[in-house]
Amino acid sequence: MLLDRYIPPPLKEDSDFFIRKTRLSQLSVNIIGYTSLIDLPRTLELLHKQAESGTVADLNAEAFMESFGKPVKAPDESTIMTTVTRGDILLYFSEHDAFISVTPVPKVLTRSIEAPTTENVLRGAISSLVEDIETNIGMIKKHAATQQLRVKSYSIGDREGKRLSLLYREDKLDLALLRAITGKIESRLDWDVKNLQQLSDMLGFSRWSFVTRFNSTELPQEAERGLSQGKAILLLDRMPFALVVPSLLWDLFAVDNDHNFPVLLMYLVRLLRIVGVLTNMIVPGLYVALVSVNPDVLRIELALSIARSRVDVPYPAIVETLLLLIILELILEASIRLPKSIGPTLTMVGGIILGQAVVSAKLVSNLLIIILAATTISSSTVVGFQNSISIRVFKYLILLLSAFYGVLGLLSGLVIICAYLASITSFGIPYLHFYKPKGDSRG
Amino acid sequence: MLRFGKPAIRAAAMLILAALLSGCWDTKDINHRVLPVVMGLSKVDGNYNMFLQIPEPTSDDSKMRIVSDSGETVSDIVDKISMNLESQIDLLHLKVLLIDRKYAEEGINDSITSFIRAQDISPKTMVVICDEPLDRFFDAMSKPDNQESTTLVHFFEKNAGWNPQVAQTRIWQMFRSIHSYTNDTMVPIIRSDDSTVIQSRGSAIIRNGRMVDRITPDDTLMINIFNGHSAQGKIEVMDHANVEIVSNAISHKSRVAGNQTFLECHVRLKVTILETKGEPSVAQVKWELEDLLRKRSEALLAKLQKRKADIVAFGQHFRTKIPRDQLAKWRTDYFPYTDINLQFQVIVQNEGNLKMRKH
Amino acid sequence: MDKTLQTVSLYLLSHMGLIFFLYPTDIIESVNIGHWLPILTGFAIHLAVIAMYMKGMSYFPRMDLVDGLRTAGNAVAIVLLLPVAAYLVMICVITIRAYSEVVTIVFLSSTPLWAIMALLLSISTYVAMLGIEAIFRTALLLFVLFIPLTVFILSYAFQNVDWLYALPVMDTHTATFAFVQERSFLLSLFAFSGGFLFLGFVQPHFRYKSRSILWSSLILLPLFLLSVYLPVLTFGQNTAEKFQFPFIMTVDTISIDWLMFDRISMFFLLSMITFVILFLATVMWKLIRIIRFKWNAKPAVLIPALSVALFVTCMNIPDWKHVSDLLWWNTFFRIYVMVIIPAATIVIGVRYRKRRV
Repeated sequence: MLLDRYIPPPLKEDSDFFIRKTRLSQLSVNIIGYTSLIDLPRTLELLHKQAESGTVADLNAEAFMESFGKPVKAPDESTIMTTVTRGDILLYFSEHDAFISVTPVPKVLTRSIEAPTTENVLRGAISSLVEDIETNIGMIKKHAATQQLRVKSYSIGDREGKRLSLLYREDKLDLALLRAITGKIESRLDWDVKNLQQLSDMLGFSRWSFVTRFNSTELPQEAERGLSQGKAILLLDRMPFALVVPSLLWDLFAVDNDHNFPVLLMYLVRLLRIVGVLTNMIVPGLYVALVSVNPDVLRIELALSIARSRVDVPYPAIVETLLLLIILELILEASIRLPKSIGPTLTMVGGIILGQAVVSAKLVSNLLIIILAATTISSSTVVGFQNSISIRVFKYLILLLSAFYGVLGLLSGLVIICAYLASITSFGIPYLHFYKPKGDSRG
Repeated sequence: MLRFGKPAIRAAAMLILAALLSGCWDTKDINHRVLPVVMGLSKVDGNYNMFLQIPEPTSDDSKMRIVSDSGETVSDIVDKISMNLESQIDLLHLKVLLIDRKYAEEGINDSITSFIRAQDISPKTMVVICDEPLDRFFDAMSKPDNQESTTLVHFFEKNAGWNPQVAQTRIWQMFRSIHSYTNDTMVPIIRSDDSTVIQSRGSAIIRNGRMVDRITPDDTLMINIFNGHSAQGKIEVMDHANVEIVSNAISHKSRVAGNQTFLECHVRLKVTILETKGEPSVAQVKWELEDLLRKRSEALLAKLQKRKADIVAFGQHFRTKIPRDQLAKWRTDYFPYTDINLQFQVIVQNEGNLKMRKH
Repeated sequence: MDKTLQTVSLYLLSHMGLIFFLYPTDIIESVNIGHWLPILTGFAIHLAVIAMYMKGMSYFPRMDLVDGLRTAGNAVAIVLLLPVAAYLVMICVITIRAYSEVVTIVFLSSTPLWAIMALLLSISTYVAMLGIEAIFRTALLLFVLFIPLTVFILSYAFQNVDWLYALPVMDTHTATFAFVQERSFLLSLFAFSGGFLFLGFVQPHFRYKSRSILWSSLILLPLFLLSVYLPVLTFGQNTAEKFQFPFIMTVDTISIDWLMFDRISMFFLLSMITFVILFLATVMWKLIRIIRFKWNAKPAVLIPALSVALFVTCMNIPDWKHVSDLLWWNTFFRIYVMVIIPAATIVIGVRYRKRRV
């Protein structure tokens, strides 16, 4: 059999791989591909319909074959392999010894468009991005219905092809920024990019950053906001997120949905988020500073009641705080891991630990529970889960410095964080900018 | 532009370094510090006696204990007590400094100065004079039913138990009165009492850090009127009525002729009527009140002038009129001979819920 | 890029850090009555100096002070810059040493001095290493974070003032300007001269409007006045002159009943310390810029080396008296920096322009 020559040996072993003989018009055809990726009955149906509309008799054999798809020139094992792996099928016309690559009816392997799972929307479009890159581009295009929207697609990766698309608005995006981004991508097209760390490497960001350089969002609406602010959007196939570059500090506090509220309320809500971030970073440090280094700052009544609640606690405030903070982080992490049905159990157990029990066991003081509750709650007011993690990390720096230097340590920790944030730039755009379209920047 | 490779690593390294370096000194947690709220100080034959009232954080109820010791200097005693206690004494939360009357009459300049110098006592600490021996006072304070640890603190706090019949003076004000040419101060005098724990006994007149005389609570209110702190003060007018001061305003006019200083002082009080006996008219109450205030304040000022203690800070109004080197002698050369003309104007703002006769 | 806003905030912050600690002491010492005259005199000098300096720098578009002076020849530049470098080193030493002393006296009596100096130095080293642009952005961020707190506390500081202490407004002694020769007045120029040099170092990186700097310096004037008058109005001249740090004492007397904190002065003063950290970072950055004029090493090596050297120097200063002596010797450099450098930029700048035309 002629076909056998072409088929790579590993494919022959693969039980997912199929060869199906059929006839289209008068020609006998072998269809090859992966069962799991192709809806075979409907594909066959389509092929037959196509064969009826233009038979070999009407056209010459060449034209007939090309009416199904693209002929594969110089077929060899590797091209067959890539075509099949991509999810296409190959038609082998044995009489003519020719391969045609055809886009079949695929099996539906993507979920339908649903509500977002990591970002809640109170007012605004609720549909979220999915794994399929085409759908995503389509959804963003629906939101940003403008002629200025440009899409650049790359196939990246050395052995395994993965699609990466860059979306931007020609009238908004700074040309230098565009060149910087495309330059970075095009020079590293052979890199394998499977996750955001690799993508971040590809774009040339430092690996050791506490702050994510892309703002990822599930909402096409947010992506559109990024576009109209002159940012670029990266879409990676099989990644249900739009990655907005560059990400800026202000993105921690503002989402597009805010604009669906009255202006005053919008500013109040954003102020609340800022307060939340500050509370989360400062409050544990403040507790430690006031309890162990600068108790004179507290009012006497408060000082006495804290002293009373700490009477039998056997270790210093910093240990006490770290202990409970780590338990809290564990609970946060565990509740991500657990299936939804078991989640409430965890909440309950966590509630018991962090509730009265740990206080009555004299492991921590009463006030600390309140402090930590406030901290945890406020850590979630920030926009985007990835950002809330950065803030959770910063908190520990302040905590440690406060333990040594009291209020001075607290404030100098803030200085360090401010300086760190100020030092971050992505593609020359400082993290602290309120980025405005086309070069007009202030910050 | 200066560039820096991996800030995060460097920052982390710095942090670890800081942690290693600075773990070596001891910071004591709040429950390992003793936070006295009241310090009693007396001086016998050049030796200080000190009492500290310390709230005990041990149980659910707030308890307190009283420790005492004596020694050559204040810090010496604190060290001694600290050594004998299980925790370290932290004076930063000291709220009230209680001074024995005899010591106050000797002059407390040195103590005040050293308190200001050493940063471990807040300059906001109240200064109070105790009209009975300190050991007796603290005995009374430590009776089982007086175990509220912050009684004495709240007694002087503006948002708690303070009222205008009580003077309110802080360490920094004492220090100011020691060095200022024109500003003396008064210090409240208290003693223990069976029913209310603390009994107010008027105020002491402090001149250059020494107690020279004492005045009654009513006189204290008068001085608070001059200083503008009199709201909510209550005055009994003869036998006819009781009024509460709502607000007051004072204006001064100063004049110098040769060596003679003149001061015109115009006080406007807004009052409301609380209680009446018989049926006095509004005009009558007003007139009687004005008369009463004038008589009271004239007697009071005469006393102050005799003692050469300017606790109403009248000298401030002569700052532009008397050259600075002369102002230094304000207390001795000018104040006692100043011709003070007082005018009171009372406005009855309302009569409460009941109507009153106008005339 | 136009970065006026950031320049203004760095300018304001670095001065605010310097104003509230040593400055009131010196002014209160220099005259007994009419403190506003020495303050205004100092401020007028300050305005004249920065106006001259910025005018001079405007002759060198897109050049900093080092490159600008270099147009007159390498030798001239070295002669002119050497005292500036010495001045900056001294400023670093004095600031670190004095401020850590203040911190130990006022807040952290149990923390050893070296630990505080290490903290101040390591943070400012870190910030300086991030480069001038990061310093500028940090300034803006700190401005937004800390200024509301500062304004809140400053407005409460009026709690205990007795306005009569401001009288008499003037006396014959002050009116003669005799205070100009007083040691304490010359020392007070520390607060005026410390922060302005950076204005001549940033032009290669970005532009700013010199007019806005001059306007924003008007914000500083009330701060200078407040820093002296709050202690004077609260305590009176006689008492205020007894204090080592009158302003700290004044904020210590504030009591706010409704706040959960008793000693809010600490927050105020420590946020001033953070401004000082930022100021130190700028000074170190300038110093490195001057050093790299002749000796081209990597800043990532140079700055830590510099800060270690500074730390060792600071450790070798035994007591407060030496700090004030150092501050006094620094006066000559200070006057040099305030008079010669702006004048030199103008002279060299005019010649440079003529040559180019």
